[in-house]
Order: sequence, then C-alpha cells, then structure tokens
Amino acid sequence: MNRRILGLLGLLTSAALVTSLAVVPGAQAAGGTIVVWADETRGPNLQKVMDAKSDWVPGYTIKIVTYSSFDALKAAFDKATGTTGPDVVVAANDWVPTAAKSGKLAPVTLTGSQKAQFNPTQFFDLSYQGKLYGVPVDINNVAMIYNTALVKTAPKKFGDMVDFYKANKSADGLKAGLCIAGGGMSWGAHSVFSALGADAYYMAGGRPNYHKFFNSATFASNVKTYLLGPDGKSNGFFPATDTGCKDNFLAGKVPFAVIGNWEWKDYVAKGFDMNLMPVPSVNAGQNGAMFGSVSGALLTSFADTHGVATGAKSLLTNFFASTAGQVAYQKFEGRPPAAKGAQADASVSAGQKGFGTAASLSGIPQIGAFLNSNAGGASYWDSAPAYWTAVLVNGKNPVVEAKKLAAIWRKNMLVGKSDL
Amino acid sequence: MATVNMLFRGKFALITKLIVLSGISAILVLLIESALAKKEYTIALFLAASLAALCYTYLSARTVPMKFFLPGLLLLFAFVVAPIVYTVVMSNYNYKTGNIISKQEAITQIKGLGVEPDANGTTFDIVVGKTSTGEYAILASDSPNHVYFVSTATKKTDLLPSQVTLNADGVATAAPNFTVVPEAQLAGNEDYAKINFAYADKYFVSVQGLNVGAVFRQSLKYNPASDTVVNLIDGKIYKDNGRGNYANVNDSADILQPGWRATNWFANYGKLFSDPLVRGPLFRVFIWTVAFAFLTVLSSFAFGLLLALTLNKPMRGRRFYRGVLVLPYAIPSVMSILIWGGMFDTEFGAINHLLGTHIAWFQNASFARTAVILVNLWLAFPYFYLISSGALQAIPSELLEAAAIDGANPRQIFKKITLPLLMQILTPLLIASFAFNFNNFNLIFLLTGGGPKDLLGGQIAGATDILISYTYQIAFGSNTQDLGLASSISVIIFFIIAGISLYGLRKSKVLETFG
Repeated sequence: MNRRILGLLGLLTSAALVTSLAVVPGAQAAGGTIVVWADETRGPNLQKVMDAKSDWVPGYTIKIVTYSSFDALKAAFDKATGTTGPDVVVAANDWVPTAAKSGKLAPVTLTGSQKAQFNPTQFFDLSYQGKLYGVPVDINNVAMIYNTALVKTAPKKFGDMVDFYKANKSADGLKAGLCIAGGGMSWGAHSVFSALGADAYYMAGGRPNYHKFFNSATFASNVKTYLLGPDGKSNGFFPATDTGCKDNFLAGKVPFAVIGNWEWKDYVAKGFDMNLMPVPSVNAGQNGAMFGSVSGALLTSFADTHGVATGAKSLLTNFFASTAGQVAYQKFEGRPPAAKGAQADASVSAGQKGFGTAASLSGIPQIGAFLNSNAGGASYWDSAPAYWTAVLVNGKNPVVEAKKLAAIWRKNMLVGKSDL
Repeated sequence: MATVNMLFRGKFALITKLIVLSGISAILVLLIESALAKKEYTIALFLAASLAALCYTYLSARTVPMKFFLPGLLLLFAFVVAPIVYTVVMSNYNYKTGNIISKQEAITQIKGLGVEPDANGTTFDIVVGKTSTGEYAILASDSPNHVYFVSTATKKTDLLPSQVTLNADGVATAAPNFTVVPEAQLAGNEDYAKINFAYADKYFVSVQGLNVGAVFRQSLKYNPASDTVVNLIDGKIYKDNGRGNYANVNDSADILQPGWRATNWFANYGKLFSDPLVRGPLFRVFIWTVAFAFLTVLSSFAFGLLLALTLNKPMRGRRFYRGVLVLPYAIPSVMSILIWGGMFDTEFGAINHLLGTHIAWFQNASFARTAVILVNLWLAFPYFYLISSGALQAIPSELLEAAAIDGANPRQIFKKITLPLLMQILTPLLIASFAFNFNNFNLIFLLTGGGPKDLLGGQIAGATDILISYTYQIAFGSNTQDLGLASSISVIIFFIIAGISLYGLRKSKVLETFG
C-alpha cells in the first residue's frame, strides 16, 4: 500500500469517525428512565396521563412506547431482549405463563394493603408457579345485551331466548337469536358454554376445583335441545362464528348479543341502553359464567438489566395499581378499572359499572395455566371454537364432540395445575 | 467525452468517491457501535469486515472486478447466506418457549426467582439511606405494630418509636445515625436494591420498590463449581440435563424455569420422523403442498395460455381485454385474498349468495382446498397470460405458415409446433412458479389460516396447511413456540426448493452461458 493510499485511508477514517460521533446518540438512555410498552389504544391514553402528571415515581422519567396494534406489541415482546426490551409491558394476562416460563418477566411483591385493593382471584391471571408478575389494571369481560326494541322483558332462562327467536324469526327477519360480538368464539363464548353446562373449570372457595369437570352428556343434551333442530343441524339460534354479529345486532336482526366491555361506547352511540346481564343458564336463577379477566402491567426481567427494577416496581404500585392512577387512566381508556377504589369512583361511567356488575354476578377468573395448556391436544382457545364448528357447521354428533372437549379441558387443567 | 472523463477520472471523481465512501463508512461505524452496544459481536465483526473490504476495494487499483461485485456480495451474504446459516444452526438447538434466553441469563433468573417470602408475607414501609459509615441501609416501619429498625447488609438495629421521626401515616422518616438518600438520587443508581438487608436468621429484607421492603429467604443456590442448583429448603439438587434445563437428579421431569437454548444435535430432525404427532401431519402436509403447487401452476398456466392464444389473434377491443386481464396482477395480492375471503364467507359471502347455497367453504376440507386453488388461479393467471403472450409472439410465424401449407390443421400445429416451442421457453418459469407456490404463505395464512382442522380430534395441521404455514404454526401459532423444530422444517423446505431451482436452472441452461 503506497503513501497515497495510506493518506486517503487516514482521511477517510477521520471523516467517518467525526461523522459517526456526530450522529451517534448518547450511548444509552439516561439512567432512571422507565420504558413502558403498550398497544395502540392503551399507549396514547397512558401518554395523556403521563403528560398531565409525570411524577408517579420521584426521580424517574417514564417513557411510553406505543405499538401499532396488540399483535405488533406481542410480536415485539416475543423478540425483546435485555437491550431492546421494555421495563413494564401492559399486556394480556395470558402472556404471563409463557413469558414467565421464558424468563422475560420478573416477580412483584405487593404489601397487604396493596393486595386488598383487588379481588384475590384477579391475581390468578397474573401468576405463574406461585409468583405474581404484575398488577391488575383493568377488567376485561363480556356481558349480554338485548335489544329492547325487540325484547320487552329480560330472559330468565336460556330457553326463553330460544323460544323468542323461534317465535319471531320470520316476522322480524332475524338472522340469529344470540351471537358473540365481543371476545370471539372461545373467550367471549364461555358464558354460552357455561349456560349450557360446560365450564372450562370450576372454582371452590376462591381456588380451582380439581375434582369437578363438566358433564359432557348434560352439555350435549342441552346443545341438542337449544341449538339444534330435529334434523340434528343448527337451528340458527346461535351462529358458530362471530362474523357480522355486531352489525346484525345493531341493525336489529339479532335480539341478544354478547359484547365486550371495550366496545360498549359503540352501542351507546347507536342509541342502545346498557341493559347488560349475564347469559342466563338453562336453569332459572342461574347464569353462564363469563371470564372476568384483567389486563396487567407486567414487570419485565429487562428492568433489572436496565437498572430501573426498583423504579419500575414503584411505577406498578404508585400508578398502575393505585386508585388515583387507575381513575386517571380509565378516564381516557374507558374500561372498568380493576382496583376496588377506582371502581367506586364517581368518574366511572355507567357502562363501566354495568360490566363490573355483570362480572360480579357471574364471573370466573381467567387462568392462563389451564386455558393456554395444550396438554390435552388443543388449548381452550382452539378447542372451544372447534366444538361450535364441528357441531353447528359440520353437523357432527354433539355427544361425541362434547366427550372429546371434556377430555381436552380436563387434561389441560390437571396438567396446567403445576404452573399455578 | 471530456465531461464523462471528468466524472469518472481526475480530482472531481476522487473527491466524490471519498465523500460517498466516507458517508458509507460513517454509517457502518455507527452500526458497528450500535451492534457492540447490544453485544451483537458477530454482526459487529461482519460490519467491520465489510468496512475494511469496502475501503480496500475502492481505494486500491488492484481490485477492479471487485468494485462491481462487492456490494452485491455483501448484501447476498447479509440477507441470504447469513439467515440460511442461522436457520441451520438454530435447527440444532432446543429453542422454544421456556428455552429462549442464554444459560447465563437463565442462571441469573433462577437465582432471582430462588427466594421465598416468610410465612406471613411480611412487608415494611422503608426509607433508603446510609449509615454514618456510608453504608447503604434501610429504615423500616411496621406502623400498625409500631416496629421500627435500621438494617444494613450485615446488621439489624431495632429502634423504639421514640427514637424515630414519624410522618402522618406512622412511617419512620428519620433515625439516629441514618441519613436519608433523596429518591431522585436513588433513581440514578439502583445498586442499593441488590442488597439483602439483614432481618432474622436466614431471612432478609429485599427492596420491592422505593418505599417497600419484603421479607424473604434464599431457596435456591447456584454452585458454579459443580454447575448445579441446590434447593436450600428441601435439599434437592438440580443439574444441567444437557437439553437446556436444570433438572432434579432424582426426577428428570422436575426442572427449573426458565431454561436456556441449548444444542440438541439433530434431535429436531429426529422428531420430524419419530414423533407421531409431528410426523403424521408432516407427511400429509407435504403431499398437499406438492398437489397445491402443481395444481396451481397447471391451472394458472392452462388458463393463461388459453387467454394468450385467444388474444393472439387480431380482434376488436384486444387492447382493452389485455389491459383488463392484467388487473388482478396489479392489485396487491393481500387485498385480493382478503376480499376473496369475504366472498367465500358462509353467512354473508357473495359466492354463496350468487349460487344460492350455504356452503361452509372454510369449514370443510374439500371446499377449503377448492377455494384456495380458485383464489390462487385468480391471482396467478395474469402472470401466465403475460409470459405466454410474450412467448407466443417469439415463435417465428414462418414455422406455423409452413406447417399450414403442409396440411397441418390448427390442433396439430398447436400440439406439434406451438406447445413444444412454448414449453422450451416457459419450462424454467413454470418450475420457478412451482417453487414459489411451494412457499406461498400469504395465500394460505390470509385465506384459510391453514384450516379447517379437527382440533377436537387431535389434528395439529389444517387441511390447507402447506409446509411453510405448518412451520409458522409450530413456530408462532400457539402459546408454545418451538423455533428449533420450525427451523428444522425450514431447512428441509430450503433443500426441496433449492433442488427444484437447480433443476430449473439446468433445464433453462442459464448457467451454461457462464461457461
């Protein structure tokens, strides 16, 4: 290499270094910055709260990172590492078992008074192998709404709804009797499963009951009676998919719908009263149990790597789990808050309270350890809609399919027990 | 000519080259710094090697051919070779939910999780400060029981209520020989939070927030010398099981979470053939993948060729028809697939509405497969129409005229002359299309999601799942992700596609031109 080349190399290296030093930001974010990841609705709402009051954790700066969708948030969190991950992630409770198992979450310890702010069953959703990984932020649940222009009195039994549908199908041009508008055919439809006698699991004294499982014969018999016609095919009362449910309900073509608490404003905007209730069971005076799950603010193991674990824990308790924090946040988010103090706050809307009441009338905790397990061959999330498709669309024998479903759910629960 | 010379030679060219090279070098240095900061040493090394190669190549007169090849070679390596190598490497790892992080990270996690609270779940309000010797300490308060103490890593000093200053909530905020560290100062350095503050016997107070401490004892202890984890409560010993977990030496099913990604040489490939849950669907999915790719190419080519033959003759509005026929090709396929998905909907779809039927297109295996082929025909025929039209026009008309003069009828001309000549031109493209459809993930994922599948019957692959969508399902489709197994399937797909592509290249004799 001659002198000219060496000279040019020297010049080039200097130019490159000067340029890169000018462009490179400070090596790392300043210490004391807690990074929170959230989806496209929660992120902007959290930012509004932080803009109004930023000193939830003295000395720390809170940075909200918003993802374009819930799926994008999940994909990013799946790929997160110690250098790229968040310190706190606002997530679905069913992330907890897999993320904790993979070492992406860190445990949280709450004081007695902090725990007393919540219904104890809400902690099931955010626990894995006996450790709590976050704090409950808001309640996710569904409730049944009925169109008062079509239905004058609230149904007392499941059969009342079926009878109404059969009697008015032609006259009112009904496309279905009851459909699932929110939460899909697994999560949202659990109350229908339960109303017909098939609960994913049963609780006793605030703990899962490992000795009680649904009776497949009773459930199949109820499916035959209420959802199938004499020819063994669907009688049209309950569609196997949620496609078009919301539009049809809003158009007055479906009298009863199960809706999610995150979308109640849409129904109010269309002039519907929030006459919310649980799905009535086949027996009078009983209701189908719906999942009353919570979204959580989860502490990640990355917070420790970033040197802000203590600050992040304080953010969970001072803001996410506190009455003041939940009231401030739910003012924008509009979901039922998880903390008892926030639920009682005067600023909580009628819709939020309606869902809260429905949940308290008939709710079971969403236990990811059972529902996510596929030890039985399929998870609850996959097997539940598969049952509706098999029986209502493909015309398979409801008794045989119910037996398969019961076996899957039973095994998932018994195997998932070790993760609680 | 003089201007051209000035652009490529002389001082102006040299200065321009230096500026461009400086800019690229600056970006590469920036990326190297970023990679080093994230401890991605392999990427940093590759970027540094690229930087050196670029500078040497473009500042030296000895490597003229490399000046043309180097950018392409670097990009080829970064975006083709490296991902293939990475996938092959990962296919030999136990890399799945629960075994994602490195062993060192897993040990750190296990140590962090290896504590248990005391029986009462005791917690204290705490204030962090320092003793008169400058040692970190906490001033802890159990207000309801009027218990107060100062604790360092080695010593706990109980205090009487009269010795501390209490706030309105009864929490101690000051004590003798204890100086409070302002919270703003604590935010800059959380070293204090790593200290186990003395409490009683084996129990210690751990900082659980700026103002909260909880009582724990260590339940798991890692021994680096023997690479084992010991449960201090029940004496169980957990040893590296060679598959990415510490397992109880007396009960291999009892493992500690989290695990780490560990090599399991060829075990994932073995699983493809030994695990009936994977093997059964894999064979069925492979057959359907071949059938799907073959039927798609055959139907699209046949339809495209038919249209090309029809429009190869002069007719009124030919230009219009040609334009219209290319439209499906111009619309983004994602949009088309979603629209077709809606049209096939059982309840509200236009197709059932038009046919007056109530077919559950995506709930029945045969109908779903038919729908997949039909939609792909719609998406693919314009391509075959375009290439067939081009190829038809490349066939010398003299050949066809001579055949006609010799008495051949149109069918004979097509069968004996047009089709053989077309096939000679189009065979490599047909093979390439087959290879593309072998991996046509978008269509399957967006249209049917691989379904339908009999989940209650234990099926894990759907009726329309092709190898790549099945792989995706294994890797990302459920709560339990098995990236190692998915990588092994990807490697097999790679070899199948590589084989098909090589065959296509040989058939087209493209490589011969390099000879």
